[in-house]
Amino acid sequence: MTINTAGRNIPDSIPGYGDVKHFEGHDKRIPEGNRYGKKNRASFNNKTDKTLPDIKAAISASGLKSGMTVSFHHHLRNGDFVVNAVMDACAEMGIRDLVLFPTALFGVHKHLTKHIKSGVIRQIQGSVNGPIGQLASEGGMEVPVVLRSHGGRPRAVTSGNIVIDVAFIAAPTSDRYGNLSGAVGKSACGSLGYAHSDAEYAECVVAITDNLAPFPASNIHIPQYFVDYVVTVESIGDPAGIVSGTTRVTRDPMRLLIARNAARLIESSQYFKDGISFQTGAGGISLAVAAYVRDAMRERGIKGSFGLGGITEFFVDMMKEGLFERLMDVQSFDLAAVKSIGENPNHIEISADWYANPWNAGCAVNMLDTVVLGATEVDRNFNANVNTEADGALLHGIGGHQDTAAGAQLTIITTPLLRGRIPCAVDSVYTVTTPGEVVDAVVTEFGVAINPRRQDLIDAAKEAGNIPLVTMDELIEKAEGLTGKMSPVETEERIIGVVEYRDGTVIDVVRQLKKK
Amino acid sequence: MKLRRTKLYLPGNNPNMLLRGHLFGPDGVILDLEDAVAMSEKDAARILVRDVLTRGDFGDCEVTVRINAMDTDLWRTDIETVVPCGIDGIRIPKVENPKDVALMGEALSEIESKAGIPVGKTLIFCLLETALGIWRSYEIATASKRVAAICPGGEDLRADLKTTRSENSEELIGPRRIVVLAAHAAGVDALDTVYADITNDAGLRRETEWVKQLGFQGKSVIHPNQIPIIHDVFTPTAKEIEQAKRIVEAAAEAAAKGLGAVQVDGRMVDRPVVKRAEFTLQRAGLKSGGEK
Amino acid sequence: MQTAQAGTLESMDCIVTVSESEKGRGITVSMEGASVARFGEAIVSSTKDTLKKMGVLDISVSVQDNGAGDLVLRARVEAAATRLLGGDAR
Repeated sequence: MTINTAGRNIPDSIPGYGDVKHFEGHDKRIPEGNRYGKKNRASFNNKTDKTLPDIKAAISASGLKSGMTVSFHHHLRNGDFVVNAVMDACAEMGIRDLVLFPTALFGVHKHLTKHIKSGVIRQIQGSVNGPIGQLASEGGMEVPVVLRSHGGRPRAVTSGNIVIDVAFIAAPTSDRYGNLSGAVGKSACGSLGYAHSDAEYAECVVAITDNLAPFPASNIHIPQYFVDYVVTVESIGDPAGIVSGTTRVTRDPMRLLIARNAARLIESSQYFKDGISFQTGAGGISLAVAAYVRDAMRERGIKGSFGLGGITEFFVDMMKEGLFERLMDVQSFDLAAVKSIGENPNHIEISADWYANPWNAGCAVNMLDTVVLGATEVDRNFNANVNTEADGALLHGIGGHQDTAAGAQLTIITTPLLRGRIPCAVDSVYTVTTPGEVVDAVVTEFGVAINPRRQDLIDAAKEAGNIPLVTMDELIEKAEGLTGKMSPVETEERIIGVVEYRDGTVIDVVRQLKKK
Repeated sequence: MKLRRTKLYLPGNNPNMLLRGHLFGPDGVILDLEDAVAMSEKDAARILVRDVLTRGDFGDCEVTVRINAMDTDLWRTDIETVVPCGIDGIRIPKVENPKDVALMGEALSEIESKAGIPVGKTLIFCLLETALGIWRSYEIATASKRVAAICPGGEDLRADLKTTRSENSEELIGPRRIVVLAAHAAGVDALDTVYADITNDAGLRRETEWVKQLGFQGKSVIHPNQIPIIHDVFTPTAKEIEQAKRIVEAAAEAAAKGLGAVQVDGRMVDRPVVKRAEFTLQRAGLKSGGEK
Repeated sequence: MQTAQAGTLESMDCIVTVSESEKGRGITVSMEGASVARFGEAIVSSTKDTLKKMGVLDISVSVQDNGAGDLVLRARVEAAATRLLGGDAR
């Protein structure tokens, strides 16, 4: 056992995971060796059509066998049909013990629980949620889940830490020679950013589309020279679950209050000036922060440089208005973003490698001024937990949390102080996802706590005079005063989840819940 | 003078609002035992409000409780429960008889002395929700030294006036003018009724500008999102602040020299104008508010 | 058997249902809701404490929690028990 610099006591080796590289600080691990490369291959003009009749034919052609690693992207979100369909086909073909390596899973993938129980899927390297998370938390998987951030995952791929045997890439449009686009087609999802590294590094790449376009396709996101096979299916997903419609800024007063506090903090900072870059999520508080910041930009005549991350209509409109020069889009959340990425040259698709991989010559998050994130809980050292819920169940992925927090000059976590009776500011988080050393402020309805190492922000906020500053100790005390003392989570010794930091070190582990 | 730009109603049986309402930054909160609580829940709300008053936190807010009307058999238990918790005031609905206000004053004194609270500490805010109440505003405002403000009603008053709501509330122009006049004659605050259309931000702003111009000091609030808009209207402009600063400084200078009247910008400035300027600075957050 | 209830299932509230118990049976508490995993012990001890202060020794309590803090739980327990004792049962 070793206590890492996030204060967690972690075994030096974990069954089903192997030897542990311990977390030593956000910028401490130096990579060695070269980038990974897939086997060379040659193609000639005797084969100008990569299409195969169905998924099973593609699985056979790809050489997929029991025990191998298969990858998927999550751009079709909760509308995705592809992961379930491929796993059903594998089960029918008698393939077992697969390592599932998705960029994320959604509620629709609860269908996979039967394949986990029957042994088709042996391990998940990626986020788990809902019923799969509950199953894993209760000890229903033989091998621990490994969680990586949106930057940690391409790092694992490009460094050869994880070798993908077959990447199945859901493609809203493909031509017969494997040029893929997310921007067009009945199942359009916009950016295909999370699929890029998989296309580039997987030993075999299978595109699955429901829109076979004449060669060459338009708006090509992933080019033909990465793609080995193309399969056409009836439908790759349900558009209603792929993109949301217009998201309106919340009128919930509590969320608006938290958002207003966060926006004032941004406006008080040295970063609120021409050229500001900005990332928020699509959640209620995040979007409201963006709305307040937009209003302040208009009022003070400030023009931003770029908006990053998951892109929403809100950011698209800000760019149209001239409040951003560019949008760098790893994931398009709504119809307006999908349309924009297909039409506007200033709306740029970026890969997850470009977005957040710490092991390249510079990823997008490094240029970020400010990011607004959420968390299920934060603690006295500003550590944030986004993976586990109050009952100790592993229910959420890391997303870009670690990456944007590490990259941005000003990292703000917004959260209500209480969710029901559950306090969100605690003495010590149950799981450390993102270390406090890269978190600058925690914004709640009860006040704003700035990390004491950022005296510059504290001074600026005081100067502004309209920010209710508190200390983290005060927030924790306030929360405990309202909720009373929590009993600890009861767990077994067995580790069911490994939380990697973006550099591949282990920052925390999640243990199996004790049976009630 | 105490700032009373916004008084946020917190439904008395709603833990979420009772515990977090003050976070929205109103000048005051009104824990409501009257209209916001169903008849069958009066007992449970009273216990909850008592506990929140005892153990909760309201920041810098002026804390008042709207009790049930004096023509019910609930009001005595209401004040016996909440006054010993040490609140700033009670809000009495449907006041139309100055004698009731005097009676309330006596009842409060009795409870205060039993509970060891300074007699007279608990202020009275009178809601005038009938034509008769509006007509007697001045008598009501002067019926007890405890009266801190009088407030015209909204829907109840419209009903009593045998009229309905119009877009610009023309039907309430007369009552509002009477209440302002009576309040200032009696030396108490005039606080306006709520703006019911909670999603109409522009309408709220228009109405607030109008009542501010009439002479009201603030409004009751039924939704937290209304607070920033009302505060914005009541916040003095940069020009008003500058002028107020010059007046206050000139007055201080004159007082130091032992002079009575002073001149600012070529105009004579007397005592009420200085007080008005001090109030402007207080509204701008540049001068802390003392007790009334 | 007489029962009484207080509270709601709004956010940060709970419904407390109390019913008469035979003398000597003591206070029994059952509960459900999202906070039970981490606040089960706290819910039981605050419920018992509130009832003992009211002089209630034998009663059966059921708490359906939707995020009530200690203050709210105690107020709901008191209201429910007062209704039961006062014959205001439903």
